[in-house]
Amino acid sequence: MGKMERFSFVALVAGVIFFLFADFVSWALPMFVLKDIPMKTKTDLAAEAKAKNYSAWADFEKLARYYPEQFKKFCDYEEKFAGAGKVSNCAPNEETFAKALAIGHRWYVAEGCWNCHSQDVRPVSNETLRFGIPGVSNTVSYPSEYQNELQAPVLWGTKRIGPDLIREAAVHDIDWQVAHLYDPASTSPGTNMPGYPWFFEKNKDGKLVPNERGLAMLVYLQWLGTWEVKPTKEWALK
Amino acid sequence: MSNTQDLQNLVNYGLVKAHIAMGLVFFIIVGLVGFLYSLQLDGIYPFPGIEFLSPGRVRMIHTAGAAYGFLVNMFAGLLYWAVPRFTGYRVLSDALGWFMWIALQAAVLITVVAILFLGQADNVEWGETPWWIDPIIVFWLLLHLVQFGAPLFKASQRGPLYVSGWYISAMLVWTPLVVFMGNMIPRFWSAGAGAGAVQSTFIHDLVGLYVTPVAWGLMYYFVPIIMKKPMWSHGLSLLGFWGLAFFYPMNGVHHFLWSPIPMFAQYSAVFATVAIEFAVTSVLINFMMTLRGSAEQLKYNVPLRYMYTGAIFYWITCFQCAFHVTLTFQKVIHFTDWVTGHAHLIMFGTFGLWVLGMAEYVWPKLFGKETMYSKGLSEGAYWLLMIGVLAMFFDLTAAGLVVGFDWIGLNPWIDSVNFSKPFWYFRSVLGIMMLTGLFMYAVNFWKTATAGKGLSAELRSDSV
Ligand code: HEC
Ligand code: HEM
Repeated sequence: MGKMERFSFVALVAGVIFFLFADFVSWALPMFVLKDIPMKTKTDLAAEAKAKNYSAWADFEKLARYYPEQFKKFCDYEEKFAGAGKVSNCAPNEETFAKALAIGHRWYVAEGCWNCHSQDVRPVSNETLRFGIPGVSNTVSYPSEYQNELQAPVLWGTKRIGPDLIREAAVHDIDWQVAHLYDPASTSPGTNMPGYPWFFEKNKDGKLVPNERGLAMLVYLQWLGTWEVKPTKEWALK
Repeated sequence: MSNTQDLQNLVNYGLVKAHIAMGLVFFIIVGLVGFLYSLQLDGIYPFPGIEFLSPGRVRMIHTAGAAYGFLVNMFAGLLYWAVPRFTGYRVLSDALGWFMWIALQAAVLITVVAILFLGQADNVEWGETPWWIDPIIVFWLLLHLVQFGAPLFKASQRGPLYVSGWYISAMLVWTPLVVFMGNMIPRFWSAGAGAGAVQSTFIHDLVGLYVTPVAWGLMYYFVPIIMKKPMWSHGLSLLGFWGLAFFYPMNGVHHFLWSPIPMFAQYSAVFATVAIEFAVTSVLINFMMTLRGSAEQLKYNVPLRYMYTGAIFYWITCFQCAFHVTLTFQKVIHFTDWVTGHAHLIMFGTFGLWVLGMAEYVWPKLFGKETMYSKGLSEGAYWLLMIGVLAMFFDLTAAGLVVGFDWIGLNPWIDSVNFSKPFWYFRSVLGIMMLTGLFMYAVNFWKTATAGKGLSAELRSDSV
């Protein structure tokens, strides 16, 4: 027994070998099982949103139309920490969409939205009914929808004060989101979600409008789950 | 090694004092920001619309501060006391110790500035430090390894290490690996469900492979010293340690049950969690049997009482865990306040009370005094903290059940917020109670350190 009670034995066996074995079981093996799911970058996500005409793309164009002045500022806005620089062609295109996702995601993390909102619809407890999308048969969370840069680290969260957001695109329209982000109590009486006035500014006419960060956040929110939202009827007919 | 001069040469008192003092300061700060955030949930946040006091950011200071500001400082201070004393060798270097002390405070302050003012955070719970700080923390933990590894290594050249030595040696190796794994892999080498599996392993390992072993290591040192008798069973000590070392690191995925992580990993985590219950039970039996015949001391000896209270809370937490780790319980309690109650009972109720007890035992000795300044403050703080955290646990557990069933019932979301409000108000009241306890504790510390004449133990009925 004496040998087991030495620094080098404990450090090697418990400290390194057991630890590596546990990591192998807990995450290396699951990663191996999931390894064939392609990893998507923000650019891939933007291209997909455009190509498949996701609801988020329409919302994005709407925001550009509603707030042209702020949209221009957004194009020039640089944020090193989110890896976002000036865009070359300021229009609602793939490049600006990818930039909006990057900045929106960055502030979603920085504001700790994930401490109150999960992004994980579980297959139990009626969650697919509560957070599901009408007309889509099964909207439980599945691995491939998380295999992208915006889920590294993953945003499942551990606590819900507010509802799950991974199907948010299907829940509210963009106007609701703008009002709610500025002052949640205005749309949801009794809520304890804080307001985020620093995502807004006054425009030339003195009206409150989302600023660069606000626009990005709104695009990000309306993008969540957009891949599960069925295309509108007119689009399906074309 | 019995005379004081030798012991003073062995232990660097300054480092112990500096770490414990900062640990206490951060304990209070962590409590204050926790209280502040609880006001947001009550809907009476006092600073709405101020960007750097955004509740979500404050919440991250609460958890990251608890990990790096409070626990790391406290444990480091107590290690500077305990490790040289049970190994008989000094730590590697005093200069390194002071450098590490400064570096740790700097890292915590930079994290606070980055999260509150720069909006740079990382969505890893307990690893909210921005990613560019994480390599610095890993480097710090490597220094921590050589600093405390040196006396442990030297001592084990002479013969087997005492139980505390096993726990602390393993912890010294685990912690840098855990912090590296949990903060780097999910960001740079994986995404999605794979990253989730790493993050869950990290949440659990920081508790299970840092906080738990260092805390049990210190318990195995302080409890027999205070009671002046050996642990009841060496066999159980061995069983407890190797059980923890093998099963604990496999538990992580139980934080994300019913998630898109492959089911085999979820099942194996549930299995390992049930296995760990046995290891924990063996450790607790050992401590309870050691107490046998000495329980009288709990009446007079506040440090020892902190330690055994914490041990009972540890057992309650682990007993609770045996239920909520099941996939059945998870349906109801995941994402609810049940989990928050669990987190506070273990982090505050067990580890918080333990370090307070240990610090209260060590503190007067650091200043050449026989006793703390005030028995009243010491008792008062104990009762406020103990009752506060226990009540918070019951309160949040109940809230979790109410809300969990409410969600299943598909009622409007706002109902669950409204149903939680009474529980949240009560939690804030308990927060005030616990903070009062902490302030009393801190005042007692301050007075003990600054009291002019040596405080003597004459009036006390115990003699520890
Ligand atoms: C203190 C906890 C808290 C924080 C922090 C928080 N929220 Fe909320 N959120 C809530 C609550 C509670 C609700 C439900 C009531 C409501 O609609 O406001 C909610 C609702 C929402 C909704 C509507 C969901 C739906 O499907 O109806 C969105 C979108 C949202 N939050 C986004 C965010 C974003 C973005 C952030 C971070 C910038 C954030 N929240 C931070 C608590 C929070
Ligand atoms: C006065 C004392 C304290 C109060 C009032 C308090 C309050 C809170 C609140 C309001 C939350 C957020 C819960 C939620 O998201 O719903 C929280 C979370 C947390 N706190 Fe504290 N806290 C206190 C002390 C501590 C201490 C000392 C520690 C650790 C040593 C701690 C560890 C944690 C952890 C780990 C979480 C995350 C729990 C989760 O994910 O559900 N807290 N606390």
